[in-house]
Amino acid sequence: MTVDSTLRALLADVLGLGEDRAATLAADSGLFGELPEFDSMAVATVLTEMEDRLGIVIDDDEVDGEIFETYGSLLTFATRKVAG
Amino acid sequence: MNAPADHILRIAPAAAPRATVLVVPPLFEEANRTRRTLVLAMRALAAQGFAALLPDLPGQNESRVALVEVDLDRWRTALADVAATIDSPLIVASVRGGALIDHRVRADGWWRLAPVGGASLLRTLLRARVAADREAGHESTLETLQAAAHREPLLLAGNRLSPDMVAQLGAAAVEPVAPLRTAAPGAGDGRIAGTPLWLRAEPGEDAAMAAAIAADIADWSAACGIS
Repeated sequence: MTVDSTLRALLADVLGLGEDRAATLAADSGLFGELPEFDSMAVATVLTEMEDRLGIVIDDDEVDGEIFETYGSLLTFATRKVAG
Repeated sequence: MNAPADHILRIAPAAAPRATVLVVPPLFEEANRTRRTLVLAMRALAAQGFAALLPDLPGQNESRVALVEVDLDRWRTALADVAATIDSPLIVASVRGGALIDHRVRADGWWRLAPVGGASLLRTLLRARVAADREAGHESTLETLQAAAHREPLLLAGNRLSPDMVAQLGAAAVEPVAPLRTAAPGAGDGRIAGTPLWLRAEPGEDAAMAAAIAADIADWSAACGIS
Protein backbone atom coordinates (compact mmCIF):
# COMPACT_ATOMS: atom_id res chain seq x y z
CA MET A 1 0.00 0.00 0.00
CA THR A 2 1.17 3.51 -0.70
CA VAL A 3 1.41 6.16 2.00
CA ASP A 4 -1.63 7.83 0.43
CA SER A 5 -3.82 4.70 0.51
CA THR A 6 -2.63 3.78 4.03
CA LEU A 7 -3.47 7.25 5.26
CA ARG A 8 -6.93 7.24 3.63
CA ALA A 9 -7.74 3.83 5.14
CA LEU A 10 -6.55 5.03 8.54
CA LEU A 11 -8.71 8.17 8.44
CA ALA A 12 -11.67 6.08 7.28
CA ASP A 13 -11.17 3.81 10.31
CA VAL A 14 -10.68 6.56 12.90
CA LEU A 15 -13.22 9.06 11.61
CA GLY A 16 -15.75 6.49 10.41
CA LEU A 17 -15.72 8.10 6.96
CA GLY A 18 -16.31 4.94 5.01
CA GLU A 19 -14.19 4.09 1.98
CA ASP A 20 -16.21 6.32 -0.36
CA ARG A 21 -15.80 9.52 1.61
CA ALA A 22 -12.16 8.72 2.34
CA ALA A 23 -11.52 8.28 -1.37
CA THR A 24 -12.83 11.78 -2.10
CA LEU A 25 -10.40 13.52 0.30
CA ALA A 26 -8.43 16.05 -1.73
CA ALA A 27 -5.23 17.88 -0.85
CA ASP A 28 -7.25 20.90 0.30
CA SER A 29 -9.90 18.92 2.24
CA GLY A 30 -10.00 20.34 5.76
CA LEU A 31 -9.45 17.96 8.69
CA PHE A 32 -9.02 19.32 12.24
CA GLY A 33 -11.59 22.04 12.85
CA GLU A 34 -13.42 21.09 9.68
CA LEU A 35 -14.58 17.51 10.31
CA PRO A 36 -16.60 17.40 13.56
CA GLU A 37 -15.31 13.87 14.30
CA PHE A 38 -11.71 15.13 14.35
CA ASP A 39 -11.30 15.97 18.05
CA SER A 40 -8.16 15.80 20.17
CA MET A 41 -8.70 12.10 20.95
CA ALA A 42 -8.95 11.43 17.21
CA VAL A 43 -5.71 13.35 16.63
CA ALA A 44 -4.00 11.17 19.25
CA THR A 45 -5.39 8.00 17.68
CA VAL A 46 -4.34 9.05 14.17
CA LEU A 47 -0.76 9.72 15.32
CA THR A 48 -0.36 6.34 17.02
CA GLU A 49 -1.97 4.49 14.09
CA MET A 50 0.34 6.32 11.65
CA GLU A 51 3.30 5.06 13.67
CA ASP A 52 2.01 1.48 13.67
CA ARG A 53 0.86 1.28 10.06
CA LEU A 54 3.64 3.30 8.41
CA GLY A 55 6.43 1.99 10.67
CA ILE A 56 7.54 5.44 11.74
CA VAL A 57 8.15 7.17 15.06
CA ILE A 58 6.62 10.59 15.49
CA ASP A 59 8.26 12.94 17.94
CA ASP A 60 5.57 15.15 19.34
CA ASP A 61 7.78 18.23 18.88
CA GLU A 62 7.15 17.78 15.15
CA VAL A 63 3.41 17.86 15.60
CA ASP A 64 1.78 21.23 15.36
CA GLY A 65 -1.78 22.16 14.42
CA GLU A 66 -0.76 22.81 10.82
CA ILE A 67 -0.19 19.21 9.82
CA PHE A 68 -3.82 18.42 10.59
CA GLU A 69 -5.22 21.41 8.71
CA THR A 70 -5.79 19.61 5.44
CA TYR A 71 -5.44 16.12 4.00
CA GLY A 72 -2.62 17.44 1.82
CA SER A 73 -0.58 18.73 4.78
CA LEU A 74 -1.00 15.42 6.65
CA LEU A 75 0.04 13.43 3.56
CA THR A 76 3.11 15.63 3.06
CA PHE A 77 4.12 15.09 6.69
CA ALA A 78 3.58 11.31 6.49
CA THR A 79 5.46 10.99 3.19
CA ARG A 80 8.41 12.93 4.59
CA LYS A 81 8.49 10.73 7.73
CA VAL A 82 8.38 7.51 5.70
CA ALA A 83 11.22 8.73 3.48
CA GLY A 84 13.18 9.29 6.71
CA MET B 1 -12.19 -11.75 45.91
CA ASN B 2 -11.97 -9.25 48.74
CA ALA B 3 -13.81 -6.44 47.02
CA PRO B 4 -17.56 -6.75 46.45
CA ALA B 5 -18.13 -8.54 43.17
CA ASP B 6 -18.65 -6.28 40.19
CA HIS B 7 -21.35 -6.76 37.58
CA ILE B 8 -21.02 -9.40 34.93
CA LEU B 9 -23.22 -9.21 31.85
CA ARG B 10 -24.28 -12.81 31.16
CA ILE B 11 -26.14 -13.86 28.02
CA ALA B 12 -26.86 -17.56 27.96
CA PRO B 13 -29.20 -20.14 26.46
CA ALA B 14 -31.99 -21.52 28.66
CA ALA B 15 -30.43 -24.99 28.70
CA ALA B 16 -26.99 -25.83 30.08
CA PRO B 17 -24.37 -24.17 27.83
CA ARG B 18 -22.00 -26.28 25.71
CA ALA B 19 -19.22 -23.92 26.77
CA THR B 20 -18.67 -20.47 28.21
CA VAL B 21 -17.07 -17.59 26.34
CA LEU B 22 -15.45 -15.07 28.68
CA VAL B 23 -15.22 -11.80 26.77
CA VAL B 24 -12.35 -9.55 27.84
CA PRO B 25 -13.12 -6.10 26.46
CA PRO B 26 -10.64 -3.54 25.16
CA LEU B 27 -9.32 -1.06 27.74
CA PHE B 28 -10.56 2.45 28.53
CA GLU B 29 -12.36 4.36 25.76
CA GLU B 30 -11.94 1.50 23.30
CA ALA B 31 -14.26 -0.58 25.50
CA ASN B 32 -17.09 1.92 24.99
CA ARG B 33 -16.56 2.01 21.25
CA THR B 34 -16.88 -1.76 20.93
CA ARG B 35 -19.37 -2.67 23.64
CA ARG B 36 -22.53 -2.73 21.52
CA THR B 37 -20.94 -4.87 18.84
CA LEU B 38 -19.47 -7.25 21.43
CA VAL B 39 -22.86 -7.63 23.10
CA LEU B 40 -24.41 -8.41 19.70
CA ALA B 41 -21.73 -11.09 19.24
CA MET B 42 -22.58 -12.46 22.70
CA ARG B 43 -26.25 -12.77 21.71
CA ALA B 44 -25.25 -14.64 18.56
CA LEU B 45 -23.08 -16.98 20.65
CA ALA B 46 -25.94 -17.62 23.07
CA ALA B 47 -28.15 -18.53 20.09
CA GLN B 48 -25.53 -21.20 19.26
CA GLY B 49 -25.60 -22.67 22.75
CA PHE B 50 -22.75 -20.78 24.41
CA ALA B 51 -22.97 -18.82 27.63
CA ALA B 52 -21.26 -15.47 27.04
CA LEU B 53 -19.91 -13.39 29.94
CA LEU B 54 -18.71 -9.80 29.85
CA PRO B 55 -17.41 -8.74 33.26
CA ASP B 56 -16.95 -5.15 34.40
CA LEU B 57 -13.24 -4.86 35.10
CA PRO B 58 -12.58 -3.26 38.51
CA GLY B 59 -12.65 0.50 38.01
CA GLN B 60 -14.60 0.32 34.74
CA ASN B 61 -18.32 0.72 33.95
CA GLU B 62 -20.47 0.10 37.06
CA SER B 63 -17.60 -1.18 39.20
CA ARG B 64 -17.63 -0.10 42.84
CA VAL B 65 -13.87 0.29 42.73
CA ALA B 66 -12.22 3.57 41.69
CA LEU B 67 -10.10 3.27 38.56
CA VAL B 68 -7.14 4.95 40.27
CA GLU B 69 -6.96 2.00 42.70
CA VAL B 70 -6.43 -0.67 40.06
CA ASP B 71 -3.69 -1.76 37.71
CA LEU B 72 -3.24 -4.45 35.05
CA ASP B 73 -2.19 -7.00 37.66
CA ARG B 74 -5.47 -6.55 39.50
CA TRP B 75 -7.42 -6.93 36.25
CA ARG B 76 -5.59 -10.19 35.49
CA THR B 77 -6.48 -11.55 38.92
CA ALA B 78 -10.10 -10.37 38.68
CA LEU B 79 -10.53 -12.22 35.37
CA ALA B 80 -8.92 -15.36 36.78
CA ASP B 81 -11.35 -15.15 39.72
CA VAL B 82 -14.34 -14.88 37.37
CA ALA B 83 -13.07 -17.84 35.32
CA ALA B 84 -12.59 -19.94 38.44
CA THR B 85 -16.35 -19.85 39.08
CA ILE B 86 -17.18 -21.36 35.67
CA ASP B 87 -17.91 -25.10 35.48
CA SER B 88 -18.24 -25.57 31.72
CA PRO B 89 -15.42 -25.63 29.15
CA LEU B 90 -14.07 -22.10 28.76
CA ILE B 91 -12.92 -20.01 25.81
CA VAL B 92 -11.42 -16.59 26.53
CA ALA B 93 -12.18 -14.03 23.82
CA SER B 94 -10.19 -10.83 24.23
CA VAL B 95 -10.16 -7.73 22.11
CA ARG B 96 -7.27 -5.24 21.74
CA GLY B 97 -5.85 -4.39 25.19
CA GLY B 98 -7.94 -7.18 26.69
CA ALA B 99 -5.22 -9.48 25.36
CA LEU B 100 -2.81 -7.89 27.86
CA ILE B 101 -4.75 -9.21 30.84
CA ASP B 102 -6.18 -12.58 29.71
CA HIS B 103 -3.33 -15.00 30.38
CA ARG B 104 -3.83 -15.65 34.10
CA VAL B 105 -7.19 -17.28 33.35
CA ARG B 106 -7.26 -21.08 33.14
CA ALA B 107 -9.09 -21.86 29.91
CA ASP B 108 -9.47 -24.46 27.17
CA GLY B 109 -8.64 -21.96 24.47
CA TRP B 110 -7.90 -18.30 23.78
CA TRP B 111 -9.19 -16.13 20.93
CA ARG B 112 -7.75 -12.65 20.45
CA LEU B 113 -8.97 -9.93 18.11
CA ALA B 114 -6.44 -7.29 17.06
CA PRO B 115 -4.25 -7.54 20.17
CA VAL B 116 -2.23 -4.41 20.88
CA GLY B 117 0.80 -3.63 23.04
CA GLY B 118 0.35 -1.52 26.13
CA ALA B 119 2.91 1.07 25.03
CA SER B 120 0.81 1.90 21.99
CA LEU B 121 -2.34 2.36 24.11
CA LEU B 122 -0.42 4.52 26.58
CA ARG B 123 1.01 6.72 23.83
CA THR B 124 -2.47 7.47 22.50
CA LEU B 125 -3.73 8.33 25.99
CA LEU B 126 -0.73 10.59 26.65
CA ARG B 127 -1.14 12.30 23.28
CA ALA B 128 -4.81 12.99 23.94
CA ARG B 129 -3.75 14.69 27.19
CA VAL B 130 -1.07 16.72 25.41
CA ALA B 131 -3.62 17.84 22.82
CA ALA B 132 -6.18 18.72 25.51
CA ASP B 133 -3.54 20.63 27.50
CA ARG B 134 -2.58 22.58 24.39
CA GLU B 135 -6.19 23.57 23.75
CA ALA B 136 -6.38 24.73 27.39
CA GLY B 137 -3.22 26.80 26.95
CA HIS B 138 -0.81 24.57 28.95
CA GLU B 139 2.32 23.05 27.53
CA SER B 140 2.94 19.38 28.25
CA THR B 141 4.85 16.64 26.45
CA LEU B 142 4.86 12.85 26.57
CA GLU B 143 8.09 13.10 28.58
CA THR B 144 6.86 15.55 31.23
CA LEU B 145 3.65 13.56 31.65
CA GLN B 146 5.50 10.28 32.01
CA ALA B 147 7.87 11.82 34.56
CA ALA B 148 4.87 13.11 36.53
CA ALA B 149 3.30 9.64 36.36
CA HIS B 150 6.13 8.24 38.50
CA ARG B 151 4.99 10.43 41.40
CA GLU B 152 1.24 10.84 41.18
CA PRO B 153 -1.89 9.63 39.41
CA LEU B 154 -2.34 11.05 35.94
CA LEU B 155 -5.63 12.06 34.32
CA LEU B 156 -5.49 10.73 30.75
CA ALA B 157 -8.52 11.18 28.49
CA GLY B 158 -10.82 11.06 31.50
CA ASN B 159 -9.08 8.08 33.15
CA ARG B 160 -7.28 8.69 36.46
CA LEU B 161 -4.42 6.19 36.31
CA SER B 162 -2.09 5.31 39.19
CA PRO B 163 1.70 5.28 38.82
CA ASP B 164 1.55 1.46 38.88
CA MET B 165 -1.06 1.38 36.13
CA VAL B 166 0.92 3.74 33.88
CA ALA B 167 4.14 1.78 34.46
CA GLN B 168 2.49 -1.61 33.83
CA LEU B 169 0.68 -0.36 30.76
CA GLY B 170 3.84 1.07 29.24
CA ALA B 171 5.59 -2.29 29.63
CA ALA B 172 2.72 -4.68 28.91
CA ALA B 173 3.09 -7.04 25.97
CA VAL B 174 0.76 -9.75 24.77
CA GLU B 175 1.73 -12.95 26.63
CA PRO B 176 1.88 -16.36 24.96
CA VAL B 177 -1.05 -18.71 25.66
CA ALA B 178 -2.12 -21.97 24.03
CA PRO B 179 -4.18 -22.94 22.16
CA LEU B 180 -4.55 -19.49 20.63
CA ARG B 181 -6.19 -18.05 17.53
CA THR B 182 -5.35 -14.43 16.73
CA ALA B 183 -7.85 -12.74 14.41
CA ALA B 184 -7.73 -9.41 12.60
CA PRO B 185 -10.48 -7.28 11.08
CA GLY B 186 -10.64 -6.67 7.35
CA ALA B 187 -11.65 -8.31 4.12
CA GLY B 188 -10.41 -11.68 2.95
CA ASP B 189 -9.79 -15.22 4.11
CA GLY B 190 -9.36 -15.76 7.82
CA ARG B 191 -10.24 -12.16 8.61
CA ILE B 192 -13.15 -10.86 10.64
CA ALA B 193 -15.31 -8.93 8.17
CA GLY B 194 -15.47 -5.42 9.56
CA THR B 195 -13.54 -2.30 10.47
CA PRO B 196 -11.60 -1.46 13.65
CA LEU B 197 -14.51 0.03 15.59
CA TRP B 198 -12.23 0.52 18.63
CA LEU B 199 -10.48 3.38 16.80
CA ARG B 200 -13.62 5.29 15.88
CA ALA B 201 -13.98 8.85 17.17
CA GLU B 202 -17.78 8.46 17.02
CA PRO B 203 -18.92 5.10 18.37
CA GLY B 204 -20.67 2.88 15.87
CA GLU B 205 -21.92 -0.66 15.81
CA ASP B 206 -21.68 -3.37 13.19
CA ALA B 207 -24.11 -6.30 13.25
CA ALA B 208 -22.34 -8.10 10.41
CA MET B 209 -19.04 -7.88 12.26
CA ALA B 210 -20.70 -9.18 15.43
CA ALA B 211 -21.99 -12.20 13.51
CA ALA B 212 -18.51 -12.78 12.06
CA ILE B 213 -16.94 -12.58 15.53
CA ALA B 214 -19.42 -15.10 16.94
CA ALA B 215 -18.94 -17.51 14.01
CA ASP B 216 -15.15 -17.31 14.31
CA ILE B 217 -15.22 -17.95 18.07
CA ALA B 218 -17.61 -20.90 17.58
CA ASP B 219 -15.26 -22.40 14.94
CA TRP B 220 -12.25 -21.92 17.20
CA SER B 221 -14.10 -23.47 20.11
CA ALA B 222 -14.71 -26.58 17.96
CA ALA B 223 -11.04 -26.62 16.96
CA CYS B 224 -10.19 -26.59 20.69
CA GLY B 225 -12.20 -29.79 21.09
CA ILE B 226 -15.38 -28.30 22.53
CA SER B 227 -18.44 -30.01 21.04
